[in-house]
Amino acid sequence: MEKKFEEPILKVSGLTVCYGRMTALKCIDFYANDNEIVGIVGPNGAGKTTLLEAIAGSVHILEGKIYFFDHQIERWPVLKRRQSGLMLIPQEGNIFPMMSVKKNLEVSVILSERAEREELVDYVYELFPILGERRRQIANTLSGGQQKMLAVGIGIASNAQVMLIDEPSIGLAPKLVTRLFATLQKIRDDTKKTIVLSEQNIKILNIADRLFGLEAGEIRFDEKKENLNRDVVKDLYLGSIS
Amino acid sequence: MLLNGIITGLIMGGILSLPVLGVAVIYGITGIPNFAIGVIGVFGGFITWYFLSYSIGLAIVIGVVVCFIVGYIVQRILLTPISEKGGDATLFFIITVSVGFVFEGFIRAIFPRPNISLELPRLGTINLATFTVEGFKIIALVFALGTLVIIRLLEEHTEIGKSWQATSQNLKLSKLVGIKTTQVFSIASGIGCALACVGAIFWGSLYNLQLSSGWDLGFMGFIVAVVGGIGNIWGGMISALIMGMVMSFSGYLLGGEWQSVILYFIVILVLIIAPKGILGSERSL
Repeated sequence: MEKKFEEPILKVSGLTVCYGRMTALKCIDFYANDNEIVGIVGPNGAGKTTLLEAIAGSVHILEGKIYFFDHQIERWPVLKRRQSGLMLIPQEGNIFPMMSVKKNLEVSVILSERAEREELVDYVYELFPILGERRRQIANTLSGGQQKMLAVGIGIASNAQVMLIDEPSIGLAPKLVTRLFATLQKIRDDTKKTIVLSEQNIKILNIADRLFGLEAGEIRFDEKKENLNRDVVKDLYLGSIS
Repeated sequence: MLLNGIITGLIMGGILSLPVLGVAVIYGITGIPNFAIGVIGVFGGFITWYFLSYSIGLAIVIGVVVCFIVGYIVQRILLTPISEKGGDATLFFIITVSVGFVFEGFIRAIFPRPNISLELPRLGTINLATFTVEGFKIIALVFALGTLVIIRLLEEHTEIGKSWQATSQNLKLSKLVGIKTTQVFSIASGIGCALACVGAIFWGSLYNLQLSSGWDLGFMGFIVAVVGGIGNIWGGMISALIMGMVMSFSGYLLGGEWQSVILYFIVILVLIIAPKGILGSERSL
């Protein structure tokens, strides 16, 4: 995965997803470049989660194409997308609750070469020292914040080129949000990977390289962050202002 | 008499625990209740009986391997695809019971006799105070306990063990991190059916195997597993040993005809008090 692409490494075009008669996403165009943090912002029910799940392959799509590197992947099953370098960290159910922290990370490196595995787990402990201290603890006995760190840790351990994270800030204290976002930036800079995250937290403006505004299943804007008027974003698309 | 009852109970529980472990492994990992497991195990028992005159070891291996393959294939081509489409417990009940009838039919069609007794070597006797136990029965119990320990060791130290633990705890995330969940399901089902086969072989050498034995073993396995906390292998083991004791003591004290009355009365009582079983279940039926 070393070669650089001029084109976006992840590209979605004309994506439509329906749940029964309800249209969750209408003809969405979306892309992410190599080594950037892309924010998807929007109110509840805008379709943020659906967009991430459609990219990862866990929801059925009605129409549209998804390109990842030079593959067209919209018909691929979850496992094949994961093997090609995509990883979704869902908003809920994002840890293995009855396993230790260490084992949670050990099953997440399963697709990596044996030689790399230990390094990946150690990198997670370096980013989140508290997880290293609590490596023997059963995951569902961790605090909410620590569980969120573990969820992100699982994503990092998976060593995917593109990590899709669904609202990592939800339920976290403001201080922890700042710290988590700083860690995401460090991951982008350390690993040269791409992080796509859906958010309702205004602090996303501090770390995202680009933002997509999503409302009622449609893209409202797609801008580099320097072109965005902070107040517009805040008023229209972000619920919790912390 | 007390010692006598305990030993008989432990051995019964030990044999019973094999199909129970089979159920626990399959249900714990796949979340699918497979009611055909007992019949498939007994099918393997008949295969073992058929080859017994050639070589005992070979006959057992053939029976167990056939059951593993059957369990693997049934899961792979039938149960996993249905579960991906969102099949519910009722559907799985109907489908797996139908699979059971298919294998009962196979037993009737393939084997010359519908009622067999597996003559395995008794391996001497061991004297415990006033009571004599055949070495063979001890092996049955040791095998059951050994299987439990091996399953636990696999979960702690091997990739496949960690994968099936992860799959049983969070299927969606397991797929997302890249675990081959379809394969994990198939292997779990194969192991479950292979364990049921070993249970059937022991059963067939202590009592006998007939067409209905598969349903007895399978449903009994299920009930005992539910009492222990379905999907929980420690709970299943403890429950099997307790049930073995209950059967043994009720048989001694009240006579064989009261055995099932007492047994199922206790099952109902336990489930009223603890609907998720003795040790609790992470899944619900």
